[in-house]
Parts: sequence; structure tokens; C-alpha cells
Amino acid sequence: MSGGLKFGPNQPYDVIICGAGHAGCEAALAASRLGADVLMLTGNLDTIAQMSCNPAIGGQAKGHMVREIDALGGEMAINADTTAIQFRLLNASKGPAVQAPRAQCDKKAYQYRMKHVLELQDNLDLFQAMVQGLIYEDGRVVGVSTNLDVEFYAKSVVVTTGTFLRGLMHVGKNKNEGGRMGDFSAKGLSGSFLEAGIELERLKTGTPARILGSSIDFTNLEEQLGDEEPTLFAFYDTREEQDLFHVEHFGQEKLGWAPGEKQVSCWMTYTGEKTREVVQDNLHLSAMYSGEIEGTGPRYCPSIEDKFVRFSDKDRHMLFLEPEGRNTNEWYINGLSTSLPFEVQLDLLRSIDGLEKVHMLRPAYAVEYDFAPPTQLFPSLESKKVENLFFAGQINGTSGYEEAAGQGLIAGVNAVQKVRGGEPLILKRHEAYLGVLIDDLVTKGTNEPYRMFSSRAEHRLLFNHPSAELRLVEHSDRLQLIDGQRVAKIKAKSEKILSWVDRLEVERTRGESYALHLRRSRSQEDFPDELKTETREVRDEVHYRVVFKGYLERELKQIEKMRHIDHIRLPEGFDFGKVKGLRSESAEKLKKIAPLTLGQASRISGVNPADISILMVFLEAASRK
Amino acid sequence: MPASDTIVALSTPAGESAIAVIRLSGCACPELGQSILGRQSGLKARHAYFGIYLDIKGKRIDDCVVTLYEAGKSFTGEAMLEIAPHGNPLIVQKIMEDLMARGCRPAEPGEFTRTAFMNGKMDLSQAEAVSDLIRARSDKSIEVAQRQLHGSVGRKMSELTDRLLSVMAHLEAYIDFPEEDLPDENQSGPAMDLRKLINEINELIETQHYSALLHEGIKTLIVGEPNVGKSSLINALTGSDRSIVSDIPGTTRDYVSAFLMIGPWRIEILDTAGLHEAVDVIEQLGINHTIEQAETADFFLLMLDSSGDSPTLPAELLARTTAENTIVVENKIDLTGSVSHDAFMPDFKHARVSLLEREGISELRQQWQASIEAGLKQPNADGVVVNARHAAALGDARDALELAADKLKNLELSELVAADLRDAVEFIGRVVGKVDNERMLDSLFKQFCIGK
Ligand SMILES: Nc1nc2c(ncn2[C@@H]2O[C@H](COP(=O)(O)OP(=O)(O)OP(=O)(O)O)[C@@H](O)[C@H]2O)c(=O)[nH]1
Ligand SMILES: [Mg+2]
Repeated sequence: MSGGLKFGPNQPYDVIICGAGHAGCEAALAASRLGADVLMLTGNLDTIAQMSCNPAIGGQAKGHMVREIDALGGEMAINADTTAIQFRLLNASKGPAVQAPRAQCDKKAYQYRMKHVLELQDNLDLFQAMVQGLIYEDGRVVGVSTNLDVEFYAKSVVVTTGTFLRGLMHVGKNKNEGGRMGDFSAKGLSGSFLEAGIELERLKTGTPARILGSSIDFTNLEEQLGDEEPTLFAFYDTREEQDLFHVEHFGQEKLGWAPGEKQVSCWMTYTGEKTREVVQDNLHLSAMYSGEIEGTGPRYCPSIEDKFVRFSDKDRHMLFLEPEGRNTNEWYINGLSTSLPFEVQLDLLRSIDGLEKVHMLRPAYAVEYDFAPPTQLFPSLESKKVENLFFAGQINGTSGYEEAAGQGLIAGVNAVQKVRGGEPLILKRHEAYLGVLIDDLVTKGTNEPYRMFSSRAEHRLLFNHPSAELRLVEHSDRLQLIDGQRVAKIKAKSEKILSWVDRLEVERTRGESYALHLRRSRSQEDFPDELKTETREVRDEVHYRVVFKGYLERELKQIEKMRHIDHIRLPEGFDFGKVKGLRSESAEKLKKIAPLTLGQASRISGVNPADISILMVFLEAASRK
Repeated sequence: MPASDTIVALSTPAGESAIAVIRLSGCACPELGQSILGRQSGLKARHAYFGIYLDIKGKRIDDCVVTLYEAGKSFTGEAMLEIAPHGNPLIVQKIMEDLMARGCRPAEPGEFTRTAFMNGKMDLSQAEAVSDLIRARSDKSIEVAQRQLHGSVGRKMSELTDRLLSVMAHLEAYIDFPEEDLPDENQSGPAMDLRKLINEINELIETQHYSALLHEGIKTLIVGEPNVGKSSLINALTGSDRSIVSDIPGTTRDYVSAFLMIGPWRIEILDTAGLHEAVDVIEQLGINHTIEQAETADFFLLMLDSSGDSPTLPAELLARTTAENTIVVENKIDLTGSVSHDAFMPDFKHARVSLLEREGISELRQQWQASIEAGLKQPNADGVVVNARHAAALGDARDALELAADKLKNLELSELVAADLRDAVEFIGRVVGKVDNERMLDSLFKQFCIGK
């Protein structure tokens, strides 16, 4: 805390963060950790960092992003590690690049801990008030107005309001306003955006029912245990111990608890014989099928209605039962999104193996909300329409806690950079999933809640999760996102890895170099003994770089080839209309997206290589004049 | 908008003709159409107006028919005007000068097509087809160019891309959704699909040769000893005196070429220096040149004098000839002492002619066409024929797919296979435009029931 809430036009903050979800938390922490004077406003202090959907962090590509967030000084990784109740490394049978950590978290503990981290943070004020409008001055944002009729002023504002903008929830024909069951809907803000010329569109998503654990019959269900040795999100090998605290003993001495201890299981079940019947007989009552909700939902998260309709040859669908915490008996049913009415949902649940006598705690619902198409943003996440206004999280059309947190961190950093006149933090597509995420958003936009997939990253082979800290250290060092000690440790680790990679090329075993041998065996068992004593982070990274050297070099070569066009800048306000020879379709797209570099232009869908050549020739000619 | 954005060109060949067509494209067209006909109201699009062309000073130039095409519905996508006066070069010149005076500018070569491409009226392969169509010199090449113009290459690429994306989607599903209830991962399906794709791409690449044959002509060499009548043959076939004929052996010292049609096929025919032990340096150079030409020739007419002995020809040359790509032409059958040389290269087809008496020439043509059609593997590839640029991109794609197929066979990690497939998609995208990853995801979510 900074000691004293400041309001009114005469005491502006450096940065105001609107919203305290996963994006808001990272934005607030990043900005205040950089020393900026920050205010975080939320409509409800009790729902900070709420996991509105499933109680899990990480997974394919998402787990990678959490590690990247950690590398950039964010909080999500530690918060997940210290509140997790089950750890699993996904894709353990595939190559290191696509192995991904995932954790079930204690939902409430996750929130408590994050709230406490915010409370402890220097330079950060928390305040419960709902932002109802933005205050503009000469095309810039200068502050926000709230439902308490109190105005707060700041040099920059980060909006992270999630699904709360004109949120409308559907359970069958039943409708409730709100961004999340039990919460409110923010209405004023949408008008404020429209007033500034920021376009809004609608998206929809959904969340399944919650049930009471004691009413589940686990006898015939398959148990899914956590990994014996957890793969953690945060990098502890480069950190001081005292950074850590666990929610059960806030900031005090550790009491023998360690991540991975006493893990809780998930359970697998299937839809039953009658499930299909229930769905089919009631399809007309589903909000999505009856036309109550327009547009299609996310492709990767079909409702159970969709699953039976679109994959009619599949007679049953797998579901996961996930515990929401240690101190609650509420369970989440993964795989059962629906917008069927309440009574049908009961029948639906009871048709599932093990849930014959289930007690429903909360129904599944679909939610529609406003989002601001992210092509209206610069890659710094600043609005093109309103200066000093930043957007992060679901309001940009994304889905997922990790996607939100990543954007929040970047927006928080850039809001400060903007105030200080520094260069924004823009990660390249070949540096991190977070780079891919933001580039996709601002360059291509999205028409469904955007979720990260590893296949979106053309250079994912470079993104094995242990490398996150090494990949991003230049940025975190330059912007001082992490302390100098940690930077030094990361650099030392990096050097150690490089030296091992070199040594294994020359040192010999069984008549050949270790490197050659390892490329065949691919087993860390064949490491020299000295290397076996290094930390897991070091071992895994050395292993990956040695075994997959050829592939990694190929990626680097491809990046090198593309690098020049990423460095050719398009001047701000560049008039694409005057480039002779540009196809009009491309010129229009380019005008709309206003890319900052030729590289970004080349990734706009509908812009072809020929267009890029034409642009390149034009810029070349212009620069010679 | 100034009229300078409006381009103009004579679309019919220069010279006298019944009518000429002058074509304009650009935003000034509607206004120009009205003013050159001196009308009070604008022209209705797609209607032919008969009137008198009035120049900028109001002077009458000629009767003409004027047609306006509205923007969006024209070849170039811009407003267009077609003016058809009488095909008198003087009249055409006056009209062109007047249009310049009104602010139009002459179109650069190919600019109409380029504009159409720029306005999204066609993809890259279609734009290429327009220029092929204009240059097409044979029925066959017109047919192929027309098919390409209607998007055959684009459609084929799109189909290949979809199939490739479907293979990718199959691998990616298991990478990105390890927790889903997917059927057991099985690489044999994708491996087979890849094999098929590789074979088809190879077929497509082969059609490039065919496309070169179509557009540039089938390169045919007349070879034989001196004085057998090679130059006489080229003259007889082209109906002109292309090549000097004389009874002095070694008359032709450098090769002479001409174009002619054999049925629907365009032929580039080359007369060459007679092949024998050279007596002087210049002759030797000519002979060397013939052997060089033979390296790239598609077809051979091997000529001999049927009144003389069977020829002895250089081995380098004979090595290039096959029963499919060669006809032995026995000339001078009018001479006494002429005998059949069936025993010479007995597997080859033989034609017996007398160029002096114009005997056997149409039979030779028939035999020749039959040989071309039998020997030229008509590419199946759904009738799609690719050009050199397409073939290069497809070649790169094929190489990437081969790498992927090898990895699949060796049960290599699927993310490594996927990296090769991604390259292949990128290469195929070079033919008609890049492929967005969204399309792969679409394919993935269509194939697999994924979702939590
Ligand atoms: N009797 C007879 N004479 C022919 C016939 N065809 C060509 N000749 C003559 O043969 C001579 C050589 O003809 P060319 O066409 O110059 O022969 P070439 O093979 O081009 O000779 P080089 O260029 O010297 O190698 C000329 O005098 C022709 O008139 C034929 O069918 N019958
Ligand atoms: Mg001759």
C-alpha cells in the first residue's frame, strides 16, 4: 500500500487499473513493482483473481505462458504453485517443447493469496468501486468515474474488465445480467468506449455446472493422480527463498508445507446411455440452439449440445471431475458446458456415470459480453483511438486466465513505459507465446474467444517451458522487471547451460561425443555424472539443446530470414492508399490494422507475399529519396 | 479524381482491320463515355451505344460503338470503357491522342491484368493465365490457359492445402489436446495421406514440362547428314524459304528456326548443319551447335537420303533419340536407286517422302502428330498444368513432405513432423497466397470432438 487514497483531478496516479481479475492483478503488480504510483479499482474486493471457470492453471501452451509470466516478474506462477492441490506434466510422452505443466488449484486459496500479495505491494492502492466511465481530454484518457461518484485521475489507464461489459447470462430461457454468476454487469463503460470511437462486438462463452462432492459416487470412476514429482510453474532456482509464502501461513515462516505435498485427485467419467436422449429431446430449449444467443461459441469449447449434434457417431463423451479446493466440497465438471434450462441440466447430470444422485450447487450457463476487437490496439496494447488507454484480458476477446494474465503484465509494464516515455515491451513471435498471443490479437483479431494453442506459434520448438527465463532475461533485465540478483542468477544459469552444451559436443563417451550419443539415446541417464548433479532446470535445458540441436538451429535460421522484414518499420499514419500496385483488398486491411512493421503487415490475413514485396519496394524507393 | 488514373490502350493489333477496340480502365470512364459521344446523360452500363466520336474540341472523328462497364463488374474491377471505331490506324491514332488530351495515360504492358489482380478480381495464378492466354499460340495452350484462368491451379492448390492441413490437424490434435478423449494416436493414416500427397505433387510438377511445351512450343530438331534435304523440309513445312537450299553439302552452317503447327501443337522447328566429319572450323562449330541443341530438344526428325547409304551419326546425338521422340524421314524417294531403309533404326517410325515432288508430307504430319500425342504424357493431375514458378514452390513443398514422411516412418516426435508440414504449407502458399493457421485449426475442430 502507498498510504492514502488519492482522488480528484489534482492528485493523479501514474496508472489506474480497472478490474482485479487475472489481467488486472498482473497489470497492477507489474506497474507498481516498476515503482509507478498505482490504483486498482474493482467492483468487488472479494472476487480478486477469481477462477470463474475451471479451477486449474496451465496446460498445453498455457503452462508455457505461465512460466513466461514468471520470467517477466509476474505473480501467476508462484500463486499457482503455492495454492495448487494437484500437479501434472502434460504430454510427458512427447518431446520437451510440447510438454506442459498444469495444476489444479485451490480456488479460494488462489484468490486469498493473490489479494494478500496485492495488499502487501508497495505503491499500490486497492479500492472497491465500480468504474462507470472514462474521463477523456484531447483524445487522451485522464481518469475514471465510479458508481460512488468519486473520480480518480491517472496518466494512464488499463482496462481489464473481463466479461463484465454488458454481460448477459443464459440458463435456457432464463436471463440474468452479469459477467459471472453472482456478480454484476458493468454497463456504463461500454458507452464510454463507444463515445471515444472504440468499437465493441459481442462474444459468448460458458461454464459448466458445479456439484457437491459428497453426492458423487466414485466407485466406478477412474482416478487421475497428480505427478509424484511436481513440475512447478515458477523458477525457484534463480530466486531467493523469501519470495515465497503459502496461503496457509501468510508471510510467516514456512511450516513444512511444500508444493506437491498431499495432492488431491481428479476423476474421470463418461456421459451415460441416456445423456444423448436428454440432449436431443431438449435441444430446442437450449439457449444456443433456440436462437436466444446468436453466433457460434468457441470451437475448442463446444457445449454438450454441440458435441452430440456435431459428432453424432460418438456415443459417449469423457468428462473430468475436478475439486475446487481443499476446504470445500464443490466440484467442477470439465467438459459439460451447456445452456440448457435448469430442469434439463438436472436430468443431464443424473444421466452421467457416478452422478446418478448428484446434488447440483450451481447450474451451467452461457454468457454473452462486449469485447473491444483487439485490432484497435497497438502491439503495446495501447488503444489506437485513445492515448494512454490500455486494454488487457478478456475484453480483448481472449479466453483463459493465462492469456489474460500475460496481457495484463504487458499492459501494466507498457502503461508505465508510456508515462515515463520509455520504449514499450513488445515480445516477438519467436521469443514467447506471449509474443504470439499479442501479435495475433492486434494483427488478426478474433471472432471467438481466443485461446492459445501451441500450433499458433510457428517457432514453438524454441518454446520448451524451462527456457522461458533464458529467452526473456534480456527484457526483464532491461526493464528491471525482476531484481538484479535474479538477473545475475539467470545469466549464470544460461552460461552454465551453454558451457555444458559445448562440453558435450567435445567430451567423449564410448568412442563418440556425448552429443552424438545423446542424440540417439535421448536419455539423461547417459549424461556425464557431473551433469547429473545439476538442477533439473539446467539438466532439462542442456538435454533439449543437445538432443534437438539440428531442429533448433533450423528454427533460428528461419527467424533470421524473416528478421529483416520485422525490422522494416512502417511510419505511423502511413498512407497505404498511395502505394501504387497494392491490391485494394490488402490496402483496406492494412489501413484498418495499421501495422507498425512490415513483418506485422505480412501476418495480416488476406495480405499476400506479393503485397509485401510491393510495400518493400515502395519503402525502399521512399527511403532513397 | 483526375483522368490520369485512367489508363488506355489499343486492344486489337495495330494495322488495318474492320474495327479496332480501344480499352480504358479507371474512374474517369463514365464521364468520358458521355462526353465523347456528346450525350446529355450518362451511359447505362453494359449497353452498346452507337454514335460519333467527338474530340475534346467537339470535332467529329469517326462512327463508333461505345460500351461502359461499371466498377466492380468489369475485368479490372474499375470502371471500364470500350470504344470500337473503324480499324484505320489514323483514326485510332486520333482517338488515342484525344484521350491523352483528356488526361488519360497509356497503359503499361500487362497493366489491365495487373489492375484486375490488384483489385482482387483474380489470384496470382489466374493473372499469369491471362498473359499465357494472350501469348497462347496453339489450341492446346489456349485450353490450358483458359482452365487456369478459371482458377484450376488455385482450386488444385486449395484442395492440396486442405488435405495437408487435415494431416497436420491430425498430429496437432494430439499435441495440443493431450487430455482429450481422442482415438488412439496412429501415424499410419497420416503417413499414407502424405505419400499420396507427395505423389500428386510430383505429378503436378511434371506438368510444368508440358506447360513449357504448350506455351513455348515443342522443340524439334531436323538432323541428318549434309545435303539430305533438311533445309528443304523446313521450307516445305512452313511454306516459305526460311532456309537456303542448295546442292552444295554443308550449306546450312548455323541453325535456322521457325514455328509451325502440327494439329493443335505448336512446334519450334530447327534446321541444323549436316552432321559428318567436318572439313572446316566453321562447319565444325555448326555441328557442335547441333549436338548442343539436341540436349534440350523434345523431338527429332532424323533425315536420310534414301538413294544413299544409311547415315552414321554422332553417338551423343543418337543417345538422345528414342522410338517415342524421333521419326526417321527417308527423303528423295523420287530418285532412281532409292531404297527403303527400314533396317536402319528398325524400332523407330519411318516416313518416306520426296520433298522435291511434295510426296508424303501430309502423311509425315499425321505420323508426327500421332507420335507427339503418344509420347507426351498428358498429365492427369486433374488437367491442371503448372508453370515454372508453381513447380519451384511445389518442389520445395514436396521436399518438406518427404522429410515429414521419413520422420513419421521412424516414429519421430510428432512436433518435429509438424514443423516440416508447416514448411510445406508455407511453400504451397507461395503459388496462390499464404495459408492461415486458422484453417488448420478449423480442420482440427471439425475432425475431432474436442472441448471442455
Ligand atoms: N531429288 C530430290 N532432291 C531433293 C529432295 N529434297 C531436297 N533435294 C535436293 O537436295 C539438295 C540439298 O537440299 P538441302 O535442303 O539444302 O539439304 P540440307 O540437308 O539442308 O543440306 P546441308 O544444309 O548442306 O546439310 C538440294 O539440291 C535439294 O533441291 C528430294 O526429295 N528429291
Ligand atoms: Mg541445309
